[in-house]
Amino acid sequence: MPSVCFYFQVHQPWRLRESSSFQLARDHWYFDDEKNRAVMRKVADKCYLPMTKLLHQIIDATDGRFKCAFSITGTALDQMYLYAPEVIEEFKSIVKTGCVEILGETYYHSLAALYDPGEFAEQVRMHSRRMKHEFGVTPTVFRNTELIFSDEIAALVTALGFKGVLAEGWDPLLGWRSPNFVYRPVGQDIALLLKNYRLSDDIAFRFSNRGWNEYPLTAEKFASWVHKVSGNGDVVNLFMDYETFGEHQWADSGIFEFMKALPEQILSHKDWNFQTPSQVIARYEKRDEVSFPVPYSWADTERDISAWRGNRMQDSSLEQIYTLSAFAHEKGGEALETWRKLLTSDHFYYMCTKWFSDGDVHAYFSPYDSPYDAFVAYMNCIRDFQGK
Amino acid sequence: MLGWEFPPHISGGLGTACEGLSQALARAGAQVMFVVPKLLGGERSDSVTVVDADGNDASRVDGEFFEAFGVGGWMRDGDVSPVISDAARRSVPRGYRQVISVPAALKPYINPQDFLAQLARGKLKVGTLGSSTSVEKIPFFEDDSNGQPTHYGLDLFAEVQRYAVKISELFAAERFDVIHCHDWMTFPAAAALSRATGRPWIAHVHSLEHDRSGAGANEEIQRIERWGLHCADAIIAVSHFTADLIQSEYGVTSDKIFIVHNGVYVRSAHSSSAPIRSHRNRVILFLGRVTFQKGPDYFVEAAGKVAAILPDVTFVMAGTGDMLERCRSRVAELKLTDRFRFPGFVRGQDVEDVFSSADLYVMPSVSEPFGISALEAISHDIPVLISKQSGVSEVLRHALKVDFWDVERMADLMINALEFPELRADMIKMAQAEVKRLRWDSSAERCFDVYRLVT
Repeated sequence: MPSVCFYFQVHQPWRLRESSSFQLARDHWYFDDEKNRAVMRKVADKCYLPMTKLLHQIIDATDGRFKCAFSITGTALDQMYLYAPEVIEEFKSIVKTGCVEILGETYYHSLAALYDPGEFAEQVRMHSRRMKHEFGVTPTVFRNTELIFSDEIAALVTALGFKGVLAEGWDPLLGWRSPNFVYRPVGQDIALLLKNYRLSDDIAFRFSNRGWNEYPLTAEKFASWVHKVSGNGDVVNLFMDYETFGEHQWADSGIFEFMKALPEQILSHKDWNFQTPSQVIARYEKRDEVSFPVPYSWADTERDISAWRGNRMQDSSLEQIYTLSAFAHEKGGEALETWRKLLTSDHFYYMCTKWFSDGDVHAYFSPYDSPYDAFVAYMNCIRDFQGK
Repeated sequence: MLGWEFPPHISGGLGTACEGLSQALARAGAQVMFVVPKLLGGERSDSVTVVDADGNDASRVDGEFFEAFGVGGWMRDGDVSPVISDAARRSVPRGYRQVISVPAALKPYINPQDFLAQLARGKLKVGTLGSSTSVEKIPFFEDDSNGQPTHYGLDLFAEVQRYAVKISELFAAERFDVIHCHDWMTFPAAAALSRATGRPWIAHVHSLEHDRSGAGANEEIQRIERWGLHCADAIIAVSHFTADLIQSEYGVTSDKIFIVHNGVYVRSAHSSSAPIRSHRNRVILFLGRVTFQKGPDYFVEAAGKVAAILPDVTFVMAGTGDMLERCRSRVAELKLTDRFRFPGFVRGQDVEDVFSSADLYVMPSVSEPFGISALEAISHDIPVLISKQSGVSEVLRHALKVDFWDVERMADLMINALEFPELRADMIKMAQAEVKRLRWDSSAERCFDVYRLVT
């Protein structure tokens, strides 16, 4: 009885104002409230609200046979409180169905796992407490920022008591092994769920691509691809950004109709069902060990971490902000929270120059005109913060 | 092609662009007859030379080559008959250009006041109209608003007029497919030659009077620009910025305007990874004409803000122009005299030196049709901060950009660029790769497309 396991990532960063150092010296305010509000409102209206309602309907219509998981960052939740509180009500309501699992991650969607294990543990615990408070559930399965995962991170996650972790099912690491089974990170006794990136990306990236030879993608066609796994796997892990629905793939692409029709198509094969990550872990045996000797992520064609740590601006700003840990902890309170908002991985992603080189502008997803503007905005904040 | 002199006899981007473009056209197989006004100095001047792909005078380098192609001839002041054999014209090989100098007291960017001033000081010498063609037959000058031919005295417009007469006489019997001219001073000459030969003419716009002078624009120059742009068979603009200005200032319809961005020669001997200069004695460079168009006053104001934060920065303002004195006195007023250097107009090796001492190149132009110097700075390993009001910002993404009027932001970017070598290193590394793709050969290809449309 193989399963489909959907997991959706919900995240919004606290975007920075493009203030000059002169401006910051006058007002010391780092965050672009107007832009953050506008983005949250837009994404709430285009994605979070309609998609969550749709999934809720699907759960009702299938008598709870459709199941999925969410990972919601603390920074997203905090901004929903300010700008779109009705989204939180929708999430609470869908979690109550019992068909939705909430995953654990760092509160601030940070790269702390790579820089500061203590801060990492603290942010994961903060996130777990917040999920318990908000949704009444404590996460037992973990996913790290941008699915960044390595053997080292596996040890950190195990130590925090999680029973499973999500990672990219990247062929060069898996070798002959299929992502459609449950594994174990090398040396750890927790479960490892690997993203089936081909099928995931068919929905997340290729769905509305008219140049794709499978365009248009119907629920029937997609379900037939999933069903082909029968006999060759236990689980098809479909991991993607929640913003895929209505934001990356616009409503007029038919993405909502596709998702509405998909569960029925998957369930039309009597062997297949939907399970959440912890149900998958309970249900299927771990087949083998997989090693991630260096950090991998779900980003770009390289699946490495060069989108956040690929140039000197990124290396330098990351090093400088983590160096301020003791200072921030000493100050505590709002200063500590501000420091943590500056740890969010998106700030470093905006400084990435690698895809800014090939004229491929649409791939560059950033509130800034250039990676250099992103760096300047960030460093101005850091220097002001240091001076506090 | 009615163009302007090559480096090192340049006073800005116009000569550099003419050199780059005509060279690439020749390389792509065009037979380029490159005509330039040559300032009269009383000496005999070569009328025709043949230059190789690197711009070297092939006739001097290789006497035999020179002889073999039968190119030669001399021209005196006011003489209107260069000696060029038909055989020579046809036999210039691929990759080479003929450069034909026509005596005229014209140089890029000169304005009517400076023209008169330089004439009075004997720095310019005008020739005479020693010909059968009368002004009445030259387009634009043939009638003024009263239907009478326009006659100028000894001023810039008279010289532009004289140049038009000479060009149409010299080349009326030549065979060519298209006339390609550069900026307003050559518009009447191109139009006259077009009338004489029936060949189409293309107005290549590197800058407009609006760019050069802003609110102080000369109306007569604008009249020539407006007329020329309306009557040209096609217009090549060096940027979308300039194309938009051509439409908004002169009401020319967009369907005959084509964008051809400039290219740049990547210097062969630069290191692939940028050297990070020492933190001490850091230098921010302004290099260009010190005129309204280039925004030198915004540079000075931003420098004042930077100097208040960073005590160890030197500002270099290289170039001359009508705003130099104003900038100097503002620098004194801000008590920055010991922080500023004004080396004047730099050329040749001095350009190399001034670039090699800089940590950041700033181009704060108020209205910059292109801004080729930003690309040159990058080819010297210098990261750049450019105004958003520039054509080059359309093709250059690996640069810091600012609105010219946003002095505080400009100062902030200068500070960040100086304080963070990692910012400079990432930017220059990516910019150098980007600049390699801005090739004159692609600019020439676009020109061929325009030629095919009009012929």
